[in-house]
Amino acid sequence: MNTFSFSTLFSAAIVSVGVTFSPLMLAKDTLNVYTYDSFASDWGPGPKIKANFEKTCDCEVNFVALDSSVGILSRVQLEGQSSQADVLLGLDLNLMEAAKKSGLLLEHSVDTSNVTVPGGWSDKIFVPFDQGHFAFIYNSDTLQNPPTSLKDVVDNTNLRVIYQDPRTSTPGLGLLLWMKSVYGEDAADAWARLAGHTVTVTKSWSDAYSMFLKGEADVVLSYTTSPAYHIVVEGETKYRAAMASEGLYPQIEVAAMMKNAPNSVLAQQFMQFILQPGFQSTVATGNWMLPVIELDETLPAAFDSALKPSKNLVLSAKDVAEHRGAWVDEWLNATTR
Amino acid sequence: MFFRSIKGLLPALLGVGFFLLMGAACLVALLRYSELHAWLGYLQQPYLWRVVRFSLWQALLSSGISLLIAIPVASCLMHRRFYGRGALLQLFSVSMVVPTIVAILGLVVVYGRSGWLSQFLGIQVPLYGLTGILLAHVFFNMPLAVRLLLQGYDLIPAGQWRQATQLGFTRWTAFRWIEWHYMKKVLPGAFVLIFMLCFSSFAVVLSLGGGPKFSTLEVAIYQALRFDFDLNKASFLALLQVMICSLFALLVYRIAPVNRQDVSLLALTRYPLKDSYWARFADGVALLCVFVLVIPPFVAIFGPIFSPLFFETLQSLALWQAVLVSLQIALPAALVSVLLGICFAVLARFCMGRPYLAFLPNKIEHLGNLILMVPGLVIATGLFLALRDVGWGLPSSYWIVVWVNAVMALPFVLRALMPVMYQQERRFRNVYLSLGIQSWSRWRLEWPLVRVNVAQALGYALLLSLGDMGVIALFGSQGLVSLPLYLFQLIGSYRLAEGSCVAVVLILLCLMLFYGSSRFVGGKVGGVNVKN
Repeated sequence: MNTFSFSTLFSAAIVSVGVTFSPLMLAKDTLNVYTYDSFASDWGPGPKIKANFEKTCDCEVNFVALDSSVGILSRVQLEGQSSQADVLLGLDLNLMEAAKKSGLLLEHSVDTSNVTVPGGWSDKIFVPFDQGHFAFIYNSDTLQNPPTSLKDVVDNTNLRVIYQDPRTSTPGLGLLLWMKSVYGEDAADAWARLAGHTVTVTKSWSDAYSMFLKGEADVVLSYTTSPAYHIVVEGETKYRAAMASEGLYPQIEVAAMMKNAPNSVLAQQFMQFILQPGFQSTVATGNWMLPVIELDETLPAAFDSALKPSKNLVLSAKDVAEHRGAWVDEWLNATTR
Repeated sequence: MFFRSIKGLLPALLGVGFFLLMGAACLVALLRYSELHAWLGYLQQPYLWRVVRFSLWQALLSSGISLLIAIPVASCLMHRRFYGRGALLQLFSVSMVVPTIVAILGLVVVYGRSGWLSQFLGIQVPLYGLTGILLAHVFFNMPLAVRLLLQGYDLIPAGQWRQATQLGFTRWTAFRWIEWHYMKKVLPGAFVLIFMLCFSSFAVVLSLGGGPKFSTLEVAIYQALRFDFDLNKASFLALLQVMICSLFALLVYRIAPVNRQDVSLLALTRYPLKDSYWARFADGVALLCVFVLVIPPFVAIFGPIFSPLFFETLQSLALWQAVLVSLQIALPAALVSVLLGICFAVLARFCMGRPYLAFLPNKIEHLGNLILMVPGLVIATGLFLALRDVGWGLPSSYWIVVWVNAVMALPFVLRALMPVMYQQERRFRNVYLSLGIQSWSRWRLEWPLVRVNVAQALGYALLLSLGDMGVIALFGSQGLVSLPLYLFQLIGSYRLAEGSCVAVVLILLCLMLFYGSSRFVGGKVGGVNVKN
C-alpha cells in the first residue's frame, strides 16, 4: 500500500516534468514576447494578435505571461543580457524611464507619425500600443450625484473611495501623478482630505475593483474604458466613469524590443505590426483600452464615453522618474498622519 | 560505531546540505548587489520603524487570538463526536491556502458594508482597520492552529486517558492536568509559525487595513523588488525581517518550557470523560466562535457553486489545463518537501541522543523555519540570480518554482513531522541501537507509526504549493499557468464571477488532495479525525 502510493507520486512527478518541457522543442522561428497575463489570456487580445501576425510571417509567437507590467520589466532586469525576450509588450508611460535606464532596449525604426495619442508620439525606443485614461468608476444605480471633478472626489466626505497603492500598482501610481498634476504643491493636503473618506488602499487593481463590485465603495480608481467591458460583455450599463473637469491622467501602454533579442528580424517586424490594424483592432474589446491609430471600423458605442477626455494632463517621464520617490513619500506621510 | 551511523545518515546530510547550499547561493547572489553603506540610511527611516512596530503588534494579536480560540476548539473537537466533525476538520486544513483575494472577498461578503451582517442583522462591522486584519488572520490561522494542537493531543498516551476516566476527571481537570501539559509542547512552535505568517502578511494587511497606515515589511520588500528593482534595499529588508522573526522565535523558545518528550505510547482508544453543563457550555462557545469566524466566509466563498456559471466554468479547457499545471508543480514540490523534512528530522534526532550534539536539534528545526521569514519572492529572485550567474537560464524556471515551493512548505512539514519523530526516538532508540537496526530497516519498522504524520506533512506541502501565487508569478511563462494564476488572470480582467468559480474549484481540489493524502499515505486508520 505504502510503496504503491509513493511510486504513484514519483511517476506522476516524472511524467509532469516531461509534459512541461515538451513545448520548448519547436522547429519554426519563434518570437518571444513578454507581456502581462491578462493580455495573453484566452479572452485577451493575445491569441488574435498571434494569429494575425503569424499570417504575415513563417514564425511562431510565444507569449510569456508575467503577472503585471512591472513584472515584465523586473523579469528582464533579472535575466539581464541572457534574456530570451525579443519584444516587451505592456510597459507603460511611467515605467519607460526605468526601462531605458536598464540599457537592455534597442531603438525602433517604426514610423509613429500616425499615432493618435494626445500630443503625438516621438519616443525613439518605445512604440505605444493602446491608450486610455484613469478615472473613478461608480455605480449609477446607487450613486445619485457622481463626482464631476477630482476635487469632488477629494472633498466630498460622504463619498467612499477605494484606490490602489502607488507603491505596488500602476493605477495607484497613475492617481499619484494625477493628484500631483492637479494639486501641485497642495497635493499633501489633498491626500490627507481624501484619506478621511478612503475605505481602503489595495495592493492591486483586481483587489480594488472586485471590492468595489461587491459594494464596498462608491467610487473606485480604474480606467475610462472600464464601463465598456460591462456593457459589451455583461450588457450592464450601470457602471460609469466619472469625468473630471480638471482633466484626466493618461495611461499609455508601450512596447519595445530587446537589444539582445535572439530573433531581432522578427522583433523588428513585430514592432512594425503593432501599429497595423491586425494588432490595433484587437485592443478595444480584448484589452479594454483604446487603439492608438485611426481604424476603418468604428468602435462599439460602449466606448463613447471613453473617447472624449476633457483635457489630457501629463507629467514628463523625466519628472516622474526623478520625483516619484519623493511623491510617494509625500503621499505616505499625508495619509498616515 | 559512530562512523557507521554517520554512513546511515548520509542521505539526510545530503538533503540538508543541498538545502543549505541553495540557501547560501541565493544569499550570495543577492548580497553581491548590496551596498552596505546604504543600509544605515534605511535604518533611519521613521516610516520603516512604524511599519515594524505595527507588524509586530498585529502579528502578536493575530497569533495570540488565533491560539486562544484554537485551544478550546481543539479540546472540544478532541472530546466530542458530532455530525460534520470530520468535514469541519477537512475544512480547517484548507483555510490557510484560500487565495488572499478570495478570502478578502469572502470576508467582505460577510462583514462588509452591503454584507450579510449589515443586511440581515443590521450590524455594521468596522471592517477596515485592525478589526479586518484580525478577522482575516484568524480566519486563515485559527484552523491551522487547531490542527497543530490536535497533533499535540495525539501524543497523549492512552494510559493517561484511562486513568483520567477512572479517577472521574472532569473536562477541566483533564485539561489542567493532562492536556495542558501536552499543549505546552506544541504551543510555542504553533505560535511562532502563525506569528511569522501574520508578520509577513501582505495583501490582507493592505486591503483590509484601510490605508497605508497599516502596512508590513513585506509591502516594502515587494516595492523594492518589483517597482524599484532595488535588490540592495530588498535584501536589506528581507534580512531585517529574518532578524526580527528570529529574535522573536528565540524569545518564545527561551520563555517556553524545555521540550521534554515522554516515553509514551500512542493513544489508540478514546476514554470518555465526565460531562457537565460547564463543559457543554464551554464547548458550545468554542464551536460558536468557529461558526461565527470561519464558517460564514467559507459559505460566501462556496456560494458560486450553485450558479449556472459554475458549470460553464467547469467546461472550459483552460481551467483543466491550469489544474494539470498546478498538479505538475504541487506533486513534485510536496514530495521534495517531505523528503527534505524527513532529512531534517532524521538529522535532528541523530543529534538528540548524543550529549555533545544535544544543542543542535532546535537549531536544525529553526533552520527549516527560517525560510518562512524570507519572502518567497526574495528566495526566488536570489535563486534566479544565482542560476543566471552559473549560466542556467529560463529552462530551469520550472524547477525553481518546484524547489521554492518545496522549501516554502518546509516549516509546515517540520511542524507535522518533528513531534512524532522525536517521540519515536525517545521510545525506541535503545531498542534499535541494541538490535543494530539502522537506516532503511529502521524506517520500515517506523513507517506504520509515523505515516499518519507524514501524510499530514505531505498534505500541507501539497496545499501550499497548489495555492502558491508569488513564486510562479515571477517565473510565469506560456505553459505555466497554475490554478491560482488563472484565477488572478480572470479577476484581473473584470471576470470576477468566473474567478470566484475557479476559487471554488481550487479549494475543492485542495480538499480532495488533502483527503487523498491522509487516506492513501496515512493509511486507513490515519488522521486525527477517524481515530476512535
